[in-house]
Amino acid sequence: MSKLTTGSFSIEDLESVQITINNIVGAAKEVAKEVKGAEEELGPMGPTPFPTIATLRDWSFTLFDRYEPVYTPMCDQCCYCTFGPCNLEGNKRGACGIDMKGQAAREFFLRCLTGCACHSAHGRHLLNHIVDLFGGDMPINMGASNVIAPNIQLVTGRQPKTLGELKPIMEYVEEEVGQLLATVHAGQEAAAIDYDNKAMFAGVLDHVGMEVSDIAQVTALGFPKSDPEAPLVEVGMGTIDASKPVIIAIGHNVAGVTYIMDYMEDNGLTDKMEIGGLCCTAFDMTRYKREDRKAPYAKIVGTISKELKIVRSGIPDVIVLDEQCVRADLVMEGQKLKIPIIASNEKIMYGLDDRTNDDVDAIVEDLVTGKIPGCVMLDYEKLGELVPKVALKMAPIREAEGLSAIPTDDEMKALVSKCVECGECALACPEELGIPAAIAVAKGEDYSALEELHDLCVGCRRCEQVCNKEIPILSLIEKAAQKAIAEEKGFVRAGRGQVSDPEIRAEGLNLVMGTTPGVIAIIGCANYPAGSKDVYSIAEEFLNRNYIVAVSGCSAMDIGMYKDADGKTLYERYPGRFEKGNILNTGSCVSNAHISGTVHKVAAIFASRNLSGNLAEIADYAINRVGAVGLAWGAYSQKAAAIGTGCNMYGIPAVLGPHSGKYRRALIAKTYDDSKWELYDSRNGSKMAIPPSPEFLITTAETWQEACVMLAKNCIRVSDNSMGRSIKLTHWMELSEKYLGVLPEDLYKFVRNEADLPLAKREMLLKMLESERGWEIDWKKKKIISGPAIKFDVSAQPTNLKRLCKEA
Amino acid sequence: MVDTTKNTKLFTTYGVKTSKAISTEIAAKLISKAKKPLFVVGTGVLDPEVLDRAVKISKAKNIPIAATGSSMIGFVDKGVNAKYINLHALGFYLTDPNWPGLDGNGNYDTIILLGHKKYYINQVLSATKNFSDVKAISIDKSYIQNATMSFGNLSKADHIAALDEVIDLL
Ligand code: SF4
Ligand code: SF4
Ligand code: SF4
Repeated sequence: MSKLTTGSFSIEDLESVQITINNIVGAAKEVAKEVKGAEEELGPMGPTPFPTIATLRDWSFTLFDRYEPVYTPMCDQCCYCTFGPCNLEGNKRGACGIDMKGQAAREFFLRCLTGCACHSAHGRHLLNHIVDLFGGDMPINMGASNVIAPNIQLVTGRQPKTLGELKPIMEYVEEEVGQLLATVHAGQEAAAIDYDNKAMFAGVLDHVGMEVSDIAQVTALGFPKSDPEAPLVEVGMGTIDASKPVIIAIGHNVAGVTYIMDYMEDNGLTDKMEIGGLCCTAFDMTRYKREDRKAPYAKIVGTISKELKIVRSGIPDVIVLDEQCVRADLVMEGQKLKIPIIASNEKIMYGLDDRTNDDVDAIVEDLVTGKIPGCVMLDYEKLGELVPKVALKMAPIREAEGLSAIPTDDEMKALVSKCVECGECALACPEELGIPAAIAVAKGEDYSALEELHDLCVGCRRCEQVCNKEIPILSLIEKAAQKAIAEEKGFVRAGRGQVSDPEIRAEGLNLVMGTTPGVIAIIGCANYPAGSKDVYSIAEEFLNRNYIVAVSGCSAMDIGMYKDADGKTLYERYPGRFEKGNILNTGSCVSNAHISGTVHKVAAIFASRNLSGNLAEIADYAINRVGAVGLAWGAYSQKAAAIGTGCNMYGIPAVLGPHSGKYRRALIAKTYDDSKWELYDSRNGSKMAIPPSPEFLITTAETWQEACVMLAKNCIRVSDNSMGRSIKLTHWMELSEKYLGVLPEDLYKFVRNEADLPLAKREMLLKMLESERGWEIDWKKKKIISGPAIKFDVSAQPTNLKRLCKEA
Repeated sequence: MVDTTKNTKLFTTYGVKTSKAISTEIAAKLISKAKKPLFVVGTGVLDPEVLDRAVKISKAKNIPIAATGSSMIGFVDKGVNAKYINLHALGFYLTDPNWPGLDGNGNYDTIILLGHKKYYINQVLSATKNFSDVKAISIDKSYIQNATMSFGNLSKADHIAALDEVIDLL
């Protein structure tokens, strides 16, 4: 096969010539090929380097064969094109020919692609910025690791060594995102299952984009590098000292904020003013330049649920926005309280004047006098100077005016008395909170019922939008919860970055044999069904049970908000290594790539599997052997859909909270169809029966208690040895009894022989298996003679891929 | 009699077909005449007043209970035939004619719903509404627009009274 290289040739004189192009390689791949000696160093290339839409389709279809796409459309209509709107109810077809399943799958895919585009565009912005600053030759440094970019290596077959070598990886992602986005157009893809494949591919690209992003910032910005002892940082609305001028940063991209922090340092302002953040920028602020400082001084206010609450408190003297997870009404809300809004990223400019080319002091003047509500500032040097200056000037002005949206005592009385208890707000509230009843109690000046709503409320403002009496309900809740908010103070470990190779070496065997019962990865946003304590309760439950708990993003923040009787948070009580009974925070959302990367690393380092361009084999290894389950309990953002879906393609199942049914697509197996629970044994290609776990790749749970049971059950893997299986069954049984009041019905499906049964309960369980399932038991030896549907063979080599079998 | 057909305001839009508002009489009739009903009960049932009614409804017609979320704990030792199942998985299995059901005897023709978060059950029911023939009767407190038939949005007191009426009519 001849290979095309970059360059051009003319075909105008050619006639009757057949041109066969087997593989058109893009510029990105050409550049990547020039990474010298990559193959020799990384081992033989797997079959799928730089995959495109069709490359991994066989693997995603293999997964869909067991984990069937389940569609829960959000709306019966399609309104994509001017043929419509079309009614697709009952799986009808629209004017363009697409049916309801196709439309639901397209919508889900679009969510994943949006998430992927967000992470990778963020990665691209950071990468360009960092390469401009430090040069493309800067060596990548992720800490004690040879496998420094497991997602990139797995997907593209490359292992970048310098920041510059990340650029062709990014170009590849961008090329594929463009190809994928085109398929959303009306009259393109029709088959639901192919949209599902595209969603999986978008998820894979998402992890690559996230990895580029975090590698760039960890390498260049002095972030912790595989550091289990990354410092503890303050989290919570109550940690902000409102007596000082306060800067609040919101979003995901720390690039601009670093200049603000540099300016504060250079001008001796770090003790004189406060800087806090919400969402992932906040995490990255606490990771920035750690080595140079005594302790991180940036504070984490909290999650997206706190955005409106912190604004209405009147505490911020200036708000700086970058990208993603920023409320669209912040300019309006800020203006009411004279809080200038500075947009620092061209992706979100919010209709503000672009003052990038203006003199900083002139802009300060316009902001402070209220001539403009805010502005766009894309020059980071200027941003660094502008924001602290505005905060210093605004603080006394705002303080003198006592600006806050929180009602005074008299205002509160007047506002609650306006309520006619019509119930509109309760109907609109996504959390189904009993707002009218709480206000009714407040009419008697008892604000306790309103206070209780504070932690349950996600700060979305849907209630206020529908209230005919124009009652600022969110502000009432905040008023009632002033004391609780002041006490919202905890600690979270600043993102530690990647899991190092030595940690994998030490823990890999335990994970694969099951003696470490599993990895529970708690990631994502704060759209919980029953308040922020949910994620803390789950994390604590699994830490007490010696699971590895990996966390990131907004969930990691909320987990740090709760304390035990001694006043200690989970981050203070449990160490941060990749080891059983530890809680490790990888960092902001883009550091989720380190969680998936950890699973790839187990295959690469512990099992010596080749990562490069070898996605299906590594994912197949993960799903059969690594007991890791993700939990995106409050997944609000499209990025959470992309992260979870990428994990699915990598063989990692995920549980989402009940709101996430709104993503419209799950992947659930039929536990009752035995034909789905078979694999090949690659030693000889024979079929082997397996237990029905994981029983889904992505699905939802109703309550955190149910999620606990699901998480424990779905850590069970084919490869568990008897000790591991009995440990896993113990936790699953205990959690089922604790939260559901009963032993699991299908426990028997996981028992291969008596050694799988926990010793303490063995006799009872053997009796149960004998009486309920008719298994034959030799009671003298306490051995199972017959009954189990699956065999115990810890040396079997389970695989979904026929091509990996010896005789294939 | 509680008027359970009023106030069918949608929680949010789900499209073209929305559930028909029904009285307690019709609800009781539909439950009584279902060939193979399943009582799908969510975690909201852990409210003692609702739990008491759920048990009575199940017992009145010997209807098996699919206890979703963490509701199962409420049914232990209540003398009803209840089994835990995840709601999302159940919604999927209901669309499969080959699902053996919770008892191994086959799929269901009617599901009766109680004790769910409305956003969650509506989402799950969008699957049964679009991809199956199963009839979904909601006797919950909120109007469930993706059910086949549903009560309107009721106050807590009216809801309990309505459940009592249904029990009397079974
Ligand atoms: S919508 Fe307004 S008036 Fe009606 S119950 Fe809610 S707060 Fe009261
Ligand atoms: S702001 Fe809070 S109370 Fe209001 S609708 Fe949203 S979650 Fe409900
Ligand atoms: S966890 Fe979710 S809400 Fe929080 S910053 Fe990330 S994407 Fe945004």
